[in-house]
Amino acid sequence: MESGDMGHSKDPAVFSIQHFCLHDGPGVRSIVFFKGCPLRCSWCQNPESWRTAPELAFKAHLCIDCKTCVNACPQQAISAPGHRDLQKCGQCFTCVENCPSGALVCFGKYYTVEDVAEALRPEFPYFENTGGGVTFSGGEPTLFPSFITGLSNRLHKEGIHTAMETCGYFDPETDTRFLSDMDLVLFDIKLFDEPAHLRFCGKSNTYIKKNLTRLAGMAFAGTGPDIWPRLPLIPSITDTTENLTGWAQFLDSIGIHYLTLVPYHNLGGSKRQWLNLPPAPEFSALTDERLGDAAKLLEQHGISCFAPGEEDWVQIDFKTASGNRKVT
Amino acid sequence: MNASLAQAAVHQQEENQFFKQFPSLTTPSMRITAIREELLSTRYSICLERPTLLEKFKKSRQGRQAKSAHPLIRRAMAIAYILSHRTPKIYDNELIVGNMTSKRVAGNYYPEGGSINILEDLFRLGKRQIPIYLTPREKFQLAGIGIKTSLTSVGGKTLLRPGRFSHFLDFFRAKRYFITEEAGIAHQVGNYGDVVHNGLVRADMKAKQSLDERKIKDGTPLSPDQESFFKSVRIVIEGIRQMAANLADTAEKKAGQPGISDERRQELLTSAAACRHVPYHPARSFLEGLQSCWLVHVAMNLEDFEQGMSFGRLDQILYFLYSRERESGQLSPEKGAEIMASFQLKTCETMPLYSERIDQYFSGNAVAQGITVGGTDAEGNDVTNELSGLILDAFAQIRTREPALHVRVHKNTPSWFLEKAVETLQLGCGKPSFFGDAAVVRALETAGMTTEHARDYAVIGCVEMASQGRTYNSSDACLFNLPICLELSLNEGRRFLGWNPVRRRFGAVTPPVTQMKSFDDVVSAFRAQVNDSVSEMVKVISWLENTYRISRPTPINSIVTEGCLDKGKDVTWGGGFYDLTSIQVAGLADAGDSLYAIKKLVFEEKRMSLSALVDILKNNFSGQEALRQELVNKFPHYGNGNPEVDRMTQLAADVYSDAITSHKNTRGGKYVPGIYSMTCHIGFGRKTGALPNGRLAGMRLSNGLSPIDGLDRCGPTAVLRSAASLDSHKWTNCCALNMKFDKKIVAGKTGRNALTGIFRTYFDQGGMQVQANVLDAEMLREARRDPSAHPSLVVRVSGYCAYFNDLQPDVQDEIIERTAHGIG
Ligand code: SF4
Ligand code: SF4
Repeated sequence: MESGDMGHSKDPAVFSIQHFCLHDGPGVRSIVFFKGCPLRCSWCQNPESWRTAPELAFKAHLCIDCKTCVNACPQQAISAPGHRDLQKCGQCFTCVENCPSGALVCFGKYYTVEDVAEALRPEFPYFENTGGGVTFSGGEPTLFPSFITGLSNRLHKEGIHTAMETCGYFDPETDTRFLSDMDLVLFDIKLFDEPAHLRFCGKSNTYIKKNLTRLAGMAFAGTGPDIWPRLPLIPSITDTTENLTGWAQFLDSIGIHYLTLVPYHNLGGSKRQWLNLPPAPEFSALTDERLGDAAKLLEQHGISCFAPGEEDWVQIDFKTASGNRKVT
Repeated sequence: MNASLAQAAVHQQEENQFFKQFPSLTTPSMRITAIREELLSTRYSICLERPTLLEKFKKSRQGRQAKSAHPLIRRAMAIAYILSHRTPKIYDNELIVGNMTSKRVAGNYYPEGGSINILEDLFRLGKRQIPIYLTPREKFQLAGIGIKTSLTSVGGKTLLRPGRFSHFLDFFRAKRYFITEEAGIAHQVGNYGDVVHNGLVRADMKAKQSLDERKIKDGTPLSPDQESFFKSVRIVIEGIRQMAANLADTAEKKAGQPGISDERRQELLTSAAACRHVPYHPARSFLEGLQSCWLVHVAMNLEDFEQGMSFGRLDQILYFLYSRERESGQLSPEKGAEIMASFQLKTCETMPLYSERIDQYFSGNAVAQGITVGGTDAEGNDVTNELSGLILDAFAQIRTREPALHVRVHKNTPSWFLEKAVETLQLGCGKPSFFGDAAVVRALETAGMTTEHARDYAVIGCVEMASQGRTYNSSDACLFNLPICLELSLNEGRRFLGWNPVRRRFGAVTPPVTQMKSFDDVVSAFRAQVNDSVSEMVKVISWLENTYRISRPTPINSIVTEGCLDKGKDVTWGGGFYDLTSIQVAGLADAGDSLYAIKKLVFEEKRMSLSALVDILKNNFSGQEALRQELVNKFPHYGNGNPEVDRMTQLAADVYSDAITSHKNTRGGKYVPGIYSMTCHIGFGRKTGALPNGRLAGMRLSNGLSPIDGLDRCGPTAVLRSAASLDSHKWTNCCALNMKFDKKIVAGKTGRNALTGIFRTYFDQGGMQVQANVLDAEMLREARRDPSAHPSLVVRVSGYCAYFNDLQPDVQDEIIERTAHGIG
């Protein structure tokens, strides 16, 4: 395994592989979280997914102050637990290896396609018995087109359903083959208004709209994966009438009449603390009432709304979408 | 469509037409709601009728005669006296009648053993975690009974003898094992099929014939013991008939009272007619079938004691009666479900009597009256039927702590049924539990059962095993502390800590750690300690068995256990067709993970000597927190799908199983192991020192087949994979794998599909048993803070379910803490 080899590779770093996930595609699924994301949504709960390279985090609440890390660091970069001189640190992660409590962790590890496939293999029977599969998420998996093509093909060879969750931000002119290799794309949309998107997510949404249009076209033509949009509901940001109406009309115009609403919960910004990042801005938690209102508004525009994990996948015509795909 | 997706769709399409037609069988009628409310709002109590009648019997004419009679007859006369003299009670609304005690909800008091420990709480009964209400007069009476009878209890008779006193004290300081058999044997799945279809008359005539012809079935002339046995059978059958007749009288009297509605009058008369007919004669209807089971069940409870008395495969036993009435249009499915719900509610009338000390080991107020549904016939064909589903639906109507429900799963189990079982589980009562036919049948065959008999297995109580109606399994004879054997093996048979400064030797003499040069040496010492502990335990159980034969034989149990009437022997004398004594274990994962830690730390990585590690353990890791953290956080643990570490859990299980199966009981039956621990892992944990896997002294141990709490870090599928990877063929008394799922995550159709699929996979991979709580952690915390918030919240504890409020606080904490499975 080349996981320790930091200098190399177009292979992505994976920061987590989670099993028994029920809310990111049909059936019981495993999610492969890739590291690296072009957006910086201010409500993001997974800041460890932002940077592409593996990075070190410190969970202060677990630290037992044993100072093993201080002594273990070959660069003398740690003056005291939790205090690392970034200038001196050579990213060797010896400290992580030696920390007994799990207070020091490394987010991200380089994987080969084969490594990921092997890590997933024990889960295959559960996929089979539940109609599940693997979902690539992140971060942003489209940053690694050749890797996910390889992985998706590898999994297809074993009859495993593959899905990808994307923020939709990639060059619309890019080669689309890597997309066709998926069975399903969960497409995250956020703000309809371009300046607002730029402000809250750090990038314009022009690519996103273009890609969504294009993927919908491919899905309906039977040349691409099934597509399913998802919208995180952040109170007063994405659940405004204006935003919802904008997206509803847009979805309608490209022929998609279903949408998953992902309610925002403030789970506390501890991950940012671990990574020594400034705290996330506070958004209020979404009330059931606001969720209901949003759903009602969207339904009025002819968009059926679903909770994550409760999607009616039959809404998409899997047959046409995957009819020309070889699944052995 | 993707192949796996298509397959899932096929799974979902296979629906049961019947349940599609009657989707509302899970909705309780007003009658069921009323009975349920009444039971839930009744305060727990102790019924003193049984011991009072026993005393009266002793003073009666019959009692005086009995003194000089053969022990089997003496016992039968006492039981028959209790049955025929107890007060018959019929409660409002119920369709199945026959009171379990003289009170609405109470524990029967068994002066022979099993209840005596409650006296420890006598002066604070109302203030206990599970309050018990008695009038001052009753308390006084209870104290009197306790004083008079404790020396003559089975435990007292057996152990209050020269040379056995330290074993007596062991009941109060259980460390290596906890002998439950002292309380009684009970734990039975009788031949209810025979009772329902042939009536007790068959046994009665068989006994009569043997007495008339003065020979047993194979022609051997009757010995005096056998003659007494057949007489004892006839005596208790007469007692049961009298009990039923008394109930019929009461029903008729009630029916004649003014102000009774016509409908209720008719029901009471039906009950009266049923009780005049069953269980002596064959049941004529579905209702009579259940009534018959119930009356025999009550009699069995009064004969021995209440633990684990189970009904077996009711969907098979009653299907003939049910379908006949359904086809003729006499019974609607709704009525069938209502009768079944009324039957199941009867099981809530009883509870065990545990003192708070004992409650550490068996927390949860459960007696586990098991009903088994689904499975195959003797040839291996699926026999899941409409009634299998209806039994689950009836439970959905009541959602109470009893009965225990068990679902058998095999490769041809229909999807609609497995889905219905998971839907029942989603209600959040921790029921049903699931059993893999393939693994269970194999383990029963290991103990010598024929394949056909093994396939007719039913669950006793929580998870224990019997080929129904033909097995006498003292299925909960003893609970065994496995990790303490490892502790002893690392300290020449002494505990690490103890009140005795000299640290009395406690286990076998094994070599000092300085002489252990390889991991194999550690394993041999561990094996020696386990063997020693098991031998000690077997010795005490053998003494008890001898006492049982004389002072507590169980003729009713012998009637419903095949073999006894043929051999002319009571079950306690070895009459059962299959005879087993089963031991349960606590701390399996702790033992396995600890062995792994020793192997890796000391012998592979050579980071420290074994004696250095043992010194650290003796000091309970003080000053060694970094090492302890590393052991907990950086070492692999069982339950994460890691074959290397799981192999050590297998090793620990094998050492334990081999020690158990090397013994035979005094009835000629086999000793068999089971892997579950009730809540003994908490009680035992308090007495067990620090372990090499980083567990501190006094902390609870792992339970049953489950990984250590919180160290199953790869999610539920990995837990199932680890569990299924273990070789279970020696675990004749089954195992318990506890899982907890967050309700939010496994709700609805998605959750149903997921749980159904992962359970099916688990059984495909050879899994033996799994049980789960589908719970909202927040709800539990609320219930912990304010017991009135969720008074009827039922959770699965070990093999059994209990009201959350009935649990000891640390058991409550454990349930809350158990990893809420379901990431994402
Ligand atoms: S990553 Fe390596 S260099 Fe950086 S602090 Fe840790 S041990 Fe030192
Ligand atoms: S090694 Fe880990 S636990 Fe020890 S001081 Fe460093 S961060 Fe804290």
